[in-house]
Amino acid sequence: MISVKNLRKSFGHHEILKGINNHVEEREVVVVIGPSGSGKSTFLRCLNGLEVVTSGEIEIVGMKLTDPTTDIHKLRQHVGMVFQQFNLFKHLTILENITLGPRKVKKQAVAEANEIARELLAKVGLPGKEQRYPDELSGGQQQRVAIARALAMKPDVMLFDEPTSALDPEMVGEVLQVMKNLASEGMTMVVVTHEMGFAREVGHRVLFMDEGYIVEEGKPSDLFTNPQMERTKSFLAKVL
Amino acid sequence: MNVIWGNLPVILGGLALTIQYAVVAIILMVVIGLIAALMRLSKLAPMRWIASAYVEIFRSTPLLVQLFFIVLGLPAILPVNQWFGQLMYPILSAALTLSLNEGAYVTEIIRAGILGVDRGQKEAALSIGMTDFQTMRYVVLPQAFKRMIPPLVNQAAQTVKDTSLLAPVGVAELVYKGEIVIAATFASFTIWSLVAALYFVIIFSVSKCSAYLERRLQVDKR
Ligand SMILES: Nc1ncnc2c1ncn2[C@@H]1O[C@H](COP(=O)(O)OP(=O)(O)O)[C@@H](O)[C@H]1O
Ligand SMILES: [Mg+2]
Repeated sequence: MISVKNLRKSFGHHEILKGINNHVEEREVVVVIGPSGSGKSTFLRCLNGLEVVTSGEIEIVGMKLTDPTTDIHKLRQHVGMVFQQFNLFKHLTILENITLGPRKVKKQAVAEANEIARELLAKVGLPGKEQRYPDELSGGQQQRVAIARALAMKPDVMLFDEPTSALDPEMVGEVLQVMKNLASEGMTMVVVTHEMGFAREVGHRVLFMDEGYIVEEGKPSDLFTNPQMERTKSFLAKVL
Repeated sequence: MNVIWGNLPVILGGLALTIQYAVVAIILMVVIGLIAALMRLSKLAPMRWIASAYVEIFRSTPLLVQLFFIVLGLPAILPVNQWFGQLMYPILSAALTLSLNEGAYVTEIIRAGILGVDRGQKEAALSIGMTDFQTMRYVVLPQAFKRMIPPLVNQAAQTVKDTSLLAPVGVAELVYKGEIVIAATFASFTIWSLVAALYFVIIFSVSKCSAYLERRLQVDKR
């Protein structure tokens, strides 16, 4: 589903990703952990072309992202993304937030798009919020709408960049629950998070990133209980 | 008072022309400003250069000089009167010059409005597969527009004031008509009071639009 070969990314003279290699299978849930500034967000943003890679190859949802002839907008329709700050469209209602992509990008009929949006809102536990505006919702509710917005495009992969980091503690659970359900339905997911409980319970594989490298990877049960690298050990000692 | 009543039709004729020029310029300045703002933010460098040159030229010279140059100067070297007609050229060129001048300021208002929209909004739109155009049209501009209303209304009020500079190039608007009436009646104080009062009513009303529009948008859309 995702194949990354020797991915490098620099901002100016500053190299942030220093040769990332990885392969994500269909239906796999990969959790990315690592200290702040290690390049986790940059890695994720390269996967849907929000950042332009400096060198290397990315293949995702059967399209070659790093090939300049690839239609990046087409590719992004198949790659959902959820942001730390939710980024709901502030000027639109919840229903409009969810249907904007299907209507304008996929040219879906309004009635059909609304129907799907209502189903998705029920699925993320927010029925009846269609006519509200984002700032009338709590952070946890907004993030669930953001997930519904991404799902409305019927993506093959979902990327999550610290989806619960901006939330009050009591709202973390409701968002993680939606993500768990999604994983159990077989969605392919790459999740950057500091929620180690989620990583253990839902993740099939954990990547530990530090200073632009994937330092270590493995099954959560192995990596959390028996890390091999010094840097992994010291990071886990701080967060577990 | 007799001076006022007797010359009211003439003065109101000038006022009508003032309003017509202002309305045309306000509409065109927004269209021009939007195009130039998008050019200034374009990925293509030549687009940015053209738009910057336009903005700088019109903001760094006085409107009165621009009017003299285009309305009166150009016919001396180009057969514009033949192209557009002896009567039409001064009307069209005066309206266009005013619009281009105001448009240069509107360009900066719209550009700042677009840049003021949170980056995350654009990224969210792109991440669901929207093109740059769709992102601008459906996500960035609607949000930018709300914060642009106060400075745009302010610029509209400025445009009404600036129509008074059309008098020296022969547009028979309010100031021009005022001068004509004074030449015939010598009622300088009375007529200028009347002219000032009429401008005040229009410009004050335009300024008050801002509060109204903002309130409307607050209620309908957050
Ligand atoms: N647009 C950018 N321009 C310059 N530097 C950036 C940009 N985005 C991220 N960086 C830098 O890249 C490094 C990694 O950032 P990031 O990928 O956000 O890390 P993480 O998500 O692991 O905290 C940081 O040092 C950050 O300052
Ligand atoms: Mg990050």
